[in-house]
Amino acid sequence: MNKISARQLLFFLACVAPVGKLVLLPARLADTSANDLLFPLALHYLLQAGAVFCVLLLAKRGMNFYELLANTFGKIAAKILVTVFSVFLLFAALLPLLEQKIFVQSVFYDTLPSLIAYAPYFVFLAYLVSKPLASYGRVWDLLAPLSIVGLAGILVLSYGSGDYSALAPVGASGFKGFYRGTMSAFGWFYDAVLLIPLLGKFEYRKGLAWQGALAYLAGGAAILLFVAVFYAIYGPIAVNQLFAFTATSKYFSGVSTLGRIDYIFIFALALVMAFWYALPVQEAADCLFQAYGRPRYLPTAVAVLLSLVYFVLSVTLDFRFTDVLRAITETVVWIFPVFCLLVPVLLLLTRRSRREIS
Amino acid sequence: MKNVTGDLDKTKEALKKLLPAEDILTFDFTSEGGMRFCTVFADPLTDKELLGKQVVEALADYSGKPRAEDVAKKLSSPETKTEKALENLASEVLIGNPVVLFADMDAAIVVGTKKIPVRAIAEPPTDVAIKGPREGFIEDFKTNTSLIRRRLKTGELKIETVEVGRRSKTVVAVCYLDGTVKDGLVDDIKKKLGEIDIDVIPDSSYLTHFLASRPYSLVKQVGTTEKPDIFCAKLAEGRVGLLVDGSPIALTVPYLLVEDFQSSEDYFVPPYRATFTRLLRLFALVVAIYLPAFYVAAQLFKLQLFPVKLLLTIAGSIRDIPFSPSLEMLLVLLVLEVLNEASIRMPKYVGMALSVVGALVLGETAVSAGFVSTPAIIIIAFSGIGLYAVPNLIEQTSVLRLAMLLVAGSVGTYGIILATAFVLLYLVTTENFGTPLLAPFSPAVGHDLRDSIIKYNLGSLSTRPKTLKSPNKRRLA
Repeated sequence: MNKISARQLLFFLACVAPVGKLVLLPARLADTSANDLLFPLALHYLLQAGAVFCVLLLAKRGMNFYELLANTFGKIAAKILVTVFSVFLLFAALLPLLEQKIFVQSVFYDTLPSLIAYAPYFVFLAYLVSKPLASYGRVWDLLAPLSIVGLAGILVLSYGSGDYSALAPVGASGFKGFYRGTMSAFGWFYDAVLLIPLLGKFEYRKGLAWQGALAYLAGGAAILLFVAVFYAIYGPIAVNQLFAFTATSKYFSGVSTLGRIDYIFIFALALVMAFWYALPVQEAADCLFQAYGRPRYLPTAVAVLLSLVYFVLSVTLDFRFTDVLRAITETVVWIFPVFCLLVPVLLLLTRRSRREIS
Repeated sequence: MKNVTGDLDKTKEALKKLLPAEDILTFDFTSEGGMRFCTVFADPLTDKELLGKQVVEALADYSGKPRAEDVAKKLSSPETKTEKALENLASEVLIGNPVVLFADMDAAIVVGTKKIPVRAIAEPPTDVAIKGPREGFIEDFKTNTSLIRRRLKTGELKIETVEVGRRSKTVVAVCYLDGTVKDGLVDDIKKKLGEIDIDVIPDSSYLTHFLASRPYSLVKQVGTTEKPDIFCAKLAEGRVGLLVDGSPIALTVPYLLVEDFQSSEDYFVPPYRATFTRLLRLFALVVAIYLPAFYVAAQLFKLQLFPVKLLLTIAGSIRDIPFSPSLEMLLVLLVLEVLNEASIRMPKYVGMALSVVGALVLGETAVSAGFVSTPAIIIIAFSGIGLYAVPNLIEQTSVLRLAMLLVAGSVGTYGIILATAFVLLYLVTTENFGTPLLAPFSPAVGHDLRDSIIKYNLGSLSTRPKTLKSPNKRRLA
């Protein structure tokens, strides 16, 4: 349980990482890029695949993130940089956690439930964060088939309901649509960065960097397919379907007789998401433990504290979600390319050989 | 530790002092040669007829020297040993082996003539098989080891015994196939057994607490079986088995959760049939745990989950029910658990009457009186049956079902998903003796999936499970 295997890492990239793009992102892209929504999405996947490749190359050096920085900049600078990186991860986790909250409140209840309905998630978050990060590897082994079955099930139930001519003509939204789509989607693409805290927790094997990038692209292809089906079903009104993966399969002909059987797949994906949304928070905590040590009761204390902070944020920002979304995807969106694309490349420039750190 | 002395009376007195119980008897006799003998034995545990024949009759004409070695040669028992320490002699008497003392002795002789009442070997009620062997373990440790030896006629089968329990001094046999078990596993188990400091071990289930890495966990961490054929198959895979004197339930470690979805019969039927029944068990268990919870959550929070026609039927039947859906389901579940508990403990002839009262009187009248709805009873009945598809996990799954029901009643379907996430995370982080509980699914071990929920044919199972890290990999040439 102390190490993540290469297989588990590939499962994560191909099957677990894509689920975070199934909720608000498709509707957001439909809003910014209309029928050209696949292009910004494809560009992000290509950029992230490159970043994944860079991060996995770093694994060759056999050092964790903190060691990597300390090896080049010294301990004090490394601690500062790791802390900044942790703060970024905690910031990146905010949108998904709020996204999940409104998704849960809207999809799992007929009427808007009280705030307390989402509160148990923070108990789960605390429990998860208190566990060692490497235990995620085994979780991914279980989540990968669930994710595949969930997404495949939804695609099978929904592909027949779509009018694929809605995706034409290509380029109708022009460069402006493409640019707006690309910029606003940055908030959802931090997958490569999530591999950085995992450095030192998995062994590099020959070809892992290529395999990782390809696995990530395979997951991306599934998401592109899903988004195409989604837009084919809803067309211009796709922008109103906030929770894309729960909306595409409801027109399946069997629903009237069998009920919402697609909920089986939605539940499977929601289970995967419960783990996915918690990952940045756990990684932020783990980065801090890498830099400052991990005394016996600290992980539990940090886990409880972080969960409380997010719980308070989720309550206070309850009716400000649109403002948060705008802020993250427009006002401070530049943070994401800096950390998610630039950092992996810059890390490649750090000292390769291990030196004695005083 | 005091030893025997040449003075017979003093030694006898010292032994009686250690064993003051009334059922510890002594029998004095003198041989034709004039030598004085005394046997000390536990009345209820010793075969007195055998003692008379093998000891008293054999020594009646003894005229040799008072040397334990010579006296032992004269005895007609195949099972003798000499011993000097009084405490060890007392222990032998307490397990049923009489001790022979004699004048001017240098050591006493222990004779193996214990006689413990045992029941006949029968098919275990918890593991009934239509095809395959029907023998089950009994409470007698020696009979159980003989059942294993009969199936594994190899010198590689090691049966090492240790005593556990300060007062019960229960014999625990650590059984394994030498060269097949992961390095260090046997030592780890023996170390854990050695660390147990308890006065009495009434049953093997006590040991599971000490062998588990998370002793207070709801999750089972030690395998159990009542069948010697399953026990031997597990030894052959690279596991270590534990037999506890006085218990018909053998333990096996390391334990994998998937074991309880497998039955011995799966290996005696075609693989496609075995795969089907294993999937069926998994399905039954999932339904047993989740169906009541989802029914309640759907009623309370998400009516969309029901098809329209079913929703109308349910709406019709719950219209006049005075309780909330979760309370109604809890009540029915409680009644089921009470009926279940009572029917297990009651004599069989009352059990039939109880079934009639439970099923007809309680169920029928509760529905017609409007206390509970028909769908609630159908769902709990189905869940109850499903639970018994995997009998070895009933204790765990019934608690889990109740927990899911409570979560569903308070938080709804998302609560069920979160509770499932909790359970999954807990399970993936549980290991025992370095073996992950959820293997071969998490961590995924492709090779071992061939005999997990799916089952390949025998020809494809030529090597031992990788999860168990056996140094001897091949089992089929």
